[in-house]
Amino acid sequence: MNLTLSLLALIALAPSALPARSSGGLLALRVDRAETIANGTMEHAVILIEDGKIVMIGEDLPIDRGIPVIDLPAGWIVLPGLVNCYSRAGMDGKGPSDSKPELLASSVLYPASEAYPEVIEAGITTLGQYPPGNGIPGQAVAVRPQGDTPESMIVADNVYLKVILRATKASKKRISAGFKKLDEYLEKEKKNREKWDAAQEKKKKKKKSSKKKKDDDDDDKKDDDDKKDEDEDKKDDDEKDSPDVYEPIELKPEVKAFKDLRDGSLDALVSISKSADYLHFLDALGEEEIGWSLRIPLTREIDIFLVADKIGEDGRRVVVEPTLSLHPGTMRARNIAAELSRAGAKLVLVPRSDSLKSHKAWLRHTGEIVAAGLDRETALRAMTLEPAELMGVEDRIGSLEEGKDANLLIVNGDPFEPGTSIEGVMLEGEFVFGEVNQ
Amino acid sequence: MRYPIEPKAWIATLFALLVAAPASAYWTPGDDDKKSSEDAEDAEADEEDEEEQERWFAAVGGDVHDGSGGVLRGATLLAKNGKIEEIGYDLYIPEDTETLDVSGYQIWPGLVSAASSGLFGGSSALEDTVDPFNRSMVLALGSGITSAVQSNQAGKLKRGEIEGIVMTPKVFTPFSYKNSDPRTKTGLEKKLAEASAYRREYMQWEEDVKKDKDLKAPSKKGIDGSTLEVLAGTTWAKFAADSRTDLLGIARLAQRYGFRPVIEGCTEGWTVADELGRAGAFAIMTPRGRKTKSERLVRDGGSSIENAAILHGAGVQIAIVPATTSISLNGIVGRDMMHLPVEAGFAIRGGLPEQAALDAITRVPARLMRVEHRVGSLEVGKDCDLIITDGDVLHYQTFVQWAVVEGKVVYNKEEELFFAHIRPRPEAAFAPEAKLDAGETLEPDDQEASSEEEESGEDDSDDGDDDGDDDER
Repeated sequence: MNLTLSLLALIALAPSALPARSSGGLLALRVDRAETIANGTMEHAVILIEDGKIVMIGEDLPIDRGIPVIDLPAGWIVLPGLVNCYSRAGMDGKGPSDSKPELLASSVLYPASEAYPEVIEAGITTLGQYPPGNGIPGQAVAVRPQGDTPESMIVADNVYLKVILRATKASKKRISAGFKKLDEYLEKEKKNREKWDAAQEKKKKKKKSSKKKKDDDDDDKKDDDDKKDEDEDKKDDDEKDSPDVYEPIELKPEVKAFKDLRDGSLDALVSISKSADYLHFLDALGEEEIGWSLRIPLTREIDIFLVADKIGEDGRRVVVEPTLSLHPGTMRARNIAAELSRAGAKLVLVPRSDSLKSHKAWLRHTGEIVAAGLDRETALRAMTLEPAELMGVEDRIGSLEEGKDANLLIVNGDPFEPGTSIEGVMLEGEFVFGEVNQ
Repeated sequence: MRYPIEPKAWIATLFALLVAAPASAYWTPGDDDKKSSEDAEDAEADEEDEEEQERWFAAVGGDVHDGSGGVLRGATLLAKNGKIEEIGYDLYIPEDTETLDVSGYQIWPGLVSAASSGLFGGSSALEDTVDPFNRSMVLALGSGITSAVQSNQAGKLKRGEIEGIVMTPKVFTPFSYKNSDPRTKTGLEKKLAEASAYRREYMQWEEDVKKDKDLKAPSKKGIDGSTLEVLAGTTWAKFAADSRTDLLGIARLAQRYGFRPVIEGCTEGWTVADELGRAGAFAIMTPRGRKTKSERLVRDGGSSIENAAILHGAGVQIAIVPATTSISLNGIVGRDMMHLPVEAGFAIRGGLPEQAALDAITRVPARLMRVEHRVGSLEVGKDCDLIITDGDVLHYQTFVQWAVVEGKVVYNKEEELFFAHIRPRPEAAFAPEAKLDAGETLEPDDQEASSEEEESGEDDSDDGDDDGDDDER
């Protein structure tokens, strides 16, 4: 009831607020079922969209006259636009192979790339694009796959730091050396600050003592003290006048990345290739407490199930492909994604590869591992909200909720059934793919 | 002891007594009493914490071969936090002990290999490259190996862990001494002469500096650090040599400069065994290795099946490794690291005493790795690295049933894909139905095991009786 009232109130207000954009304003979408991700499945859902945002979503909401309504055919389902947080679609170029944590993927975007429309066709409305290279190649960016300039594509920058970790001395050292450099910087900075503080203190003293000097000249002891003071003052003058405003030592960008990691403003996405790498990563990290997720490629033979319990205990996110892998040395299939999820890890799915074909088959592939035992809700979440959370853009993206971007994926049946196809994709309130009649 | 009670405290106490019900009737005032009881509680809590940290392991009912010749039939081996706590009979087994019923099986020290490659997955510095999940490690454990030298580091095959892998960071200093390449000879002799002279100077200086404090220590410049380590005895000088001439040269060099050479190969060692024995040499050898005698030599030469036996007789310490020191799944079966005990067994064929053959894959390599105090034999205080076999460890038919490293079961034949199908364990042995209380053992269902226990003269009411029906409750 409340919902209806507020909806009516909103509708009453809307035309006056946006008189110029009569058609671009409110739009209602009625559908048999919506997978909201945040609040489960909603039957007979009405989604009200305005200005690229979802302004309201609810069951059987009444729609005021005058608002354009799109009635989707029976059996169709609306999902949030998919989020692929780990992609290099539309990018090229060679990257570094050592530690370059300061490099940004956002600086090498190609808005005109033909990959982006293709990505949209696959129902993906947000991409996490990472910089190329080995070692620590840099920081990823979250983009909408449409826009004329790189700036217009960027949803959020610095969404994660990509780290490739292997069980080698050099690889482990990149992490420890990064934090060591940060420690050195912080130590220097602390000394610098102390020096500045001391200088400020002396300045004050100087003013005071010069006043005192005039007051009690006759005291011998004081005289001695003053002499000392004078000496010190001289020294100070020799060094330099300390500035009144504190100037910190310049923080190099490669050190800043590690500072951000430690402060928690940047998370690491650590790519590993086997169980041993995971242990070595923890070893390299040592006492350092940072936010991190794991990228584990399941398309190769991998023994990661051996440490699934440990990864699950940590409750971290794992970025994996929707694929069944063979137990090494056997023909026994394992649903490692489901195993990790059951162990307690937060599952994030990505297409099997960066090709258009894989992007288009992403839902179907996920359907395969759902059929093999992965929880359905978890699977849907792993393609939408979980990757959005990994990139820290969950306030805008990843679920059908009021206030979030109107990124919608419209399918004509169960998204995980092989026969289902994508009927429409909406990106921030606009249909960018499909023939959904407006 | 009584304490004066301040009025305020007294009133408070009275109040407390009135308010609190009979439960506090025996409560006596005074902070100290309270404190002491709290302390006691703390202490209890501490004890509990400690107990939580304790990790117990017990292998019950097996024939314990301690690796130095002793055998305890049907005994129990108890380990605490990865170290052997006790070996014997009627042991008290604490609660929450990981207990393995191994009656009818034999317990041996985990085997040690003086050379290996690939067992730890990585190829360089073990602590940074080890893959404790790799297949070679599982197969090596399945072959009984629990410690090995790789990349000149002594490591332990700790499956699933990367902490504490390295036991000795540097084991050998490789030296080259070849008769066919005179430069290696002169170069090495020069290094040794310089290092030895430096050591003499240094020792002299140590004496002199007591009298004259201003004396400067002799300069280390130009002295080879590794050679100094060898002369100081902190690492072993390792040579790869097979021919009689080279072996003689090495033996004499070692005697002249006073170090113990480790000779890899040593195929013709039997021809100069006395010299090598006098030099206190170690030999890392492959008894099944073949080498034909050089036609130009008029003396003895080539390989001999008796090589190990003759060298051992002359006092050379023998370590045995297979021809291929990795786990190899190609080529001819039986030459790779999976057959370390078979290789040692072959030396017995040539006359090597069984104990010496066992030592060659346990205690001698442990000595070379400088961890003889931790691995190589089963003794109280040493690491609980052991293998449980279905027969004599040196017998070709024997399979490792379980491997235990630092008190953790890291290999179980029935649970791995590799050998589970070959002569599977009788079900009762690996899936005991009866839940056992701590300290109890399973009824020996194996006739052999029970008869062995009788031999050991044990008057244990639990294990010894053959009728067994009274014990079932």
